[in-house]
Amino acid sequence: MRGADRVSSLVLVVFALVAVNEARKLRLGSLGSPGPGFVPLCLAAALALVGMILLWHALREPESPAPPEEAGARWKSVVSLVALVAYTFALEPAGFVLATAALLFFFFRVLDGQRWWIALASAVAVSVLSYLVFARALNVRLPEGPWS
Amino acid sequence: MELIGGLLYGFSVCFTPANLFACFVGVFVGTLIGVLPGIGPVATMSLLLPVTYAMSPTASIIMMAGIYYGAMYGGSTTSILVNIPGEAASVVTCLDGYQMARQGRAGPALGISAFGSFIAGTFSVLGIMLLAPPLTSVALRFGPPEIFALLVLGFTMVTYLTAGSKLRAVAMALLGMLLGTVGLDPILATPRFTFGSVTLGDGLGLVPIIMGLFGVSEVLLNIERGVTQEVFETRITGLLPTRADWKASAAPIARGSVLGFFLGILPGIGAIIPTFISYALERRISRHPERFGTGAIEGVAAPEAANNAATGGAMIPLLTLGIAPNVVMAVLLGAFLIHGVQPGPLLIREHPDMFWGVIASMYVGNVILLILNLPLIGLWVQLLRVPYGLLFPLILLFCIIGVYSEAGNVWDIVVMLAFGVIGLLMKKYRYEAAPLVLAFVLGRMAEESLRQSLLLSRGHFDILVTRPLATILLVIALAVMVLPALAPPVRRLLGTVGEETGT
Repeated sequence: MRGADRVSSLVLVVFALVAVNEARKLRLGSLGSPGPGFVPLCLAAALALVGMILLWHALREPESPAPPEEAGARWKSVVSLVALVAYTFALEPAGFVLATAALLFFFFRVLDGQRWWIALASAVAVSVLSYLVFARALNVRLPEGPWS
Repeated sequence: MELIGGLLYGFSVCFTPANLFACFVGVFVGTLIGVLPGIGPVATMSLLLPVTYAMSPTASIIMMAGIYYGAMYGGSTTSILVNIPGEAASVVTCLDGYQMARQGRAGPALGISAFGSFIAGTFSVLGIMLLAPPLTSVALRFGPPEIFALLVLGFTMVTYLTAGSKLRAVAMALLGMLLGTVGLDPILATPRFTFGSVTLGDGLGLVPIIMGLFGVSEVLLNIERGVTQEVFETRITGLLPTRADWKASAAPIARGSVLGFFLGILPGIGAIIPTFISYALERRISRHPERFGTGAIEGVAAPEAANNAATGGAMIPLLTLGIAPNVVMAVLLGAFLIHGVQPGPLLIREHPDMFWGVIASMYVGNVILLILNLPLIGLWVQLLRVPYGLLFPLILLFCIIGVYSEAGNVWDIVVMLAFGVIGLLMKKYRYEAAPLVLAFVLGRMAEESLRQSLLLSRGHFDILVTRPLATILLVIALAVMVLPALAPPVRRLLGTVGEETGT
């Protein structure tokens, strides 16, 4: 995991330095009466420092071979995320029931490998049912889409 | 007598049909999600926050608290039967609980964890009842410097008592505080790190962050790695522990309850660390330490008692100071604020129905759990057979509904998904999420109290050391930082269990 530690601590350092740069644009104030930028700047600087120590530790450790990555399954989480992002932006134009049925059908059919008609039936059933439970029974706000 | 009167009043509040129902729903849902891997009390409580709009403040807090301690019961069921901790606080229960199940003693293991939890839960309710009222009078003397000192103590606890690398925990705490500064400055309302975005102008929401880090990331990880679903095929008979079992577990349950309760009060501890410490303690003082890990009933009883007692202990800082000592309490604090109630020293006087009602409900909830859990274990086992391919889309869907319904803003879902990815990477690269979330919540309070202190003192930092209460708290914080270096046994105690469970 040493290689991974180098990457993760480097990401922390870079993030912290960007934050330092952003915080400097805010009014700092003085130690006695700190302005809006004072605490963020201190935090970002401290994070950069800690990140550098972590990076230094990671660099000092000898490079060991990367552990075997869980083979083949990474595509599943990437695909799921893409589907979720698409769903998020389809939610308001298409409405909750339609968008949710499509998302669930995708999960059941593509990721779980159900037969298409089982996947379709359960996707529609779950989306309608959850709409009724949350929006109607529990008064939770859900996008209606064009059907309202 | 005031206490008895208060408690009786609490029971009268709790036994109204609406509150009793809320209590039942809370512990039932809590047990359910405790059993299911991939969704925990934090994500569930955040999800149900919008649902509580329609409820009375007291009923919603009763339900929320019920979810938390209900999950502690449910988590142990999966630990024992499937060797998968439903909750992080039940990790230790796997060690001996699963071994007991393999030896055909699943029944007594489940039984003793339910009874142990019940005894510990009862003990912690008594503890809250006795400790909270006197602590409120101390808390009334808290001004911004004292709050700041207490938060500093909380941060040191979070980072110095973490099971993994301290430096990584510090990094996550700093990151959390930094993320907490996004939005409007607490004193001057200047926008910070908003990049002109309206969503960011309100600051990052706690619910999307929690759902991302604890809900979505867990699901993504399970999608990648797959979930093993081998339910132990055994007839669960004889849930009632035998006389010998009781003799072996009585003292461990008592020790676990006391330990869990007092550790739970401290900011930054949560319910997980007490389970590790109590397991290590039992093994250390046992005459047969070699039995631990091979199905010793003490190894199930003590940590299960500890995690339930810690749940109660954690209510104390919330009810008396309005400070969330762990992530779950942060969500509970959110539930109070939604209803316009500020928990703190004035709660007991201004909202006695809430204060005593919630305490009494925890007692009632523990009874319901005991009655509910023993006969329903068969149902929970069936639930574990629901294929994950059907379960994970539902968990994701509930996360989305919960986040969206809070403000009706699609960008909150985007924030949640982003933190889902961040959480996945953090899990892979061994960074803990709890310090980040807790620092996110406490960071804002810390900045506000620090700057208010400086306004009070006109810019002199000595206000933090000239007030006795603040000084004491800062000295304790310093001690927490320094002591582990001086007292390696404590570290060893924590370290050895960490190795065995692979955490």
